[in-house]
Amino acid sequence: MNIRNQLICAWSAMGFTAICLAGFLFANFIPPISPNLSAEAVAAIYRENALSMRFGILLIMSSAGFICSFAAALAMQMKRIEGDLVPVFTYAQLGAGCVTTLVFVFASVFWTGAAFRPDHDPELTRMLNDIGWITLLMTFAPFIIQNIALGLCILSDTQAEPVFPRWVGYYNLWVAMLFVPGGLLTFFKTGPFAWDGLFVWWVPFAVFFTWYLAMCYILLGAIQRQAQAEPAAA
Amino acid sequence: MSSTSALPDSVESHLPGETGVWMFIIGDILVFSLLFSVFVYDRSQEVALFVEQQQLLNQTLGLLNTVLLLTSSWLVALAVHGARAGQLLRARGCFGLAILCGIGFVVVKYFEWGEKMAADLTIETNNFFMYYYLMTGIHLLHMMIGIGVLVFLWQSVRDTECDAQGVGVLESGACFWHLVDILWIALFALLYLMR
Amino acid sequence: MAVSLQSRVTGIWAGLIVATGLSWQFGHGFGFGEKFHYATAAILIITFVKIRFVFLDFMELRTAPWLLRLAFEVWAVSVCVTLIGLYWLGV
Repeated sequence: MNIRNQLICAWSAMGFTAICLAGFLFANFIPPISPNLSAEAVAAIYRENALSMRFGILLIMSSAGFICSFAAALAMQMKRIEGDLVPVFTYAQLGAGCVTTLVFVFASVFWTGAAFRPDHDPELTRMLNDIGWITLLMTFAPFIIQNIALGLCILSDTQAEPVFPRWVGYYNLWVAMLFVPGGLLTFFKTGPFAWDGLFVWWVPFAVFFTWYLAMCYILLGAIQRQAQAEPAAA
Repeated sequence: MSSTSALPDSVESHLPGETGVWMFIIGDILVFSLLFSVFVYDRSQEVALFVEQQQLLNQTLGLLNTVLLLTSSWLVALAVHGARAGQLLRARGCFGLAILCGIGFVVVKYFEWGEKMAADLTIETNNFFMYYYLMTGIHLLHMMIGIGVLVFLWQSVRDTECDAQGVGVLESGACFWHLVDILWIALFALLYLMR
Repeated sequence: MAVSLQSRVTGIWAGLIVATGLSWQFGHGFGFGEKFHYATAAILIITFVKIRFVFLDFMELRTAPWLLRLAFEVWAVSVCVTLIGLYWLGV
């Protein structure tokens, strides 16, 4: 029970948020490239901004590993709720969190595929661009399992001094709900459920990154309380 | 909400369920408000299409579902009052009937969707039907979760003497079910009724 | 106490059913005739009045801390006004 190591992993959420957002800005991915564009138009975007996009996508890739270390830090506090014997939500959260890393890794790989040879056939560029966005935004399944496992774990906490405040449990269930519409992008090129639309991009995007900031803050509080409750551990 | 306890009406005031449930309800309602607004705005851009396509909906089934949900909400409210008064058997019966109404809603929705799909009206047909399937679909997801919650409440009325904590659990679950009801009241007006 | 509250809840339910019937009628040409955009505004207002009573009596916000009740009342009014405003864009 090393408090310092836990703090390092908890702060990795900040690293993730800062580097990943910077990556999106450099890659010019805010707002996303519209799924409604012609192959020519998509290829032109990659051709004209190749260097900046490559760098931005590299940043997104670099940030992805922090998701794992943050999930591990969450898991340590969840284990204080569930105990050593059957920490099943803890494992579900950790596993789903690590898969979330893969979402960002693979999205970056596909976008890099598009930006790597900007002079190849526009149809290929657009297809790689499509796969990149689909990888990032349709893959709600690991996100929601991470949130639901964490939420249920927090709500099952019956200790007199709970590890996390109870409302954080409901907050996580709400967040899970908001990622579900991502799956709908498969049907649409325009509108609020296309991948550049309100309910697939803007709402989940805002909720996702504020979740990292909020959970980082909440987790630091939990670790602090553990350090006070178990001084020997520090 | 403890900050309000210093105010004059605090003697009688009581927050049903736990604070966290209300955070969830507020969060959910805000997202749905956004969805309602986007729908009405997009509708205003293609009024003719939306009005024409709306005629293809089965209004009777929509009305039937509204009545089913209002009734189940009423039964759930009765159940909570009953449990508070110690009438556990009655509370259990009300929850049971509310669950049946909820299942009835899902069955009606199944036939309604089936009818539309048989007529080749799908999520990709046009913007009206996109919203129709999405909004009723997201609501149906809430329904499924809500029915699960009601079954849990129905169970827990049997198993526990309803102490203050037990009633708190009932209130939390009941509020979620009323939320599902509220969302449908709005969807019914937006999808089926407005012209 | 419990009995009177239960009969109140039942009264609210009856009112909700009647209001649903009324808004259904407005949606089918009753009352406003050809001025269907006024009928739509009426439908939306009835809808949010219904929602308000579900909040107040089913979800028991009537006796909840006033701040929460106020938040939901303000929400109901502002969403209703917003939707009517957005609807009017297309009239």
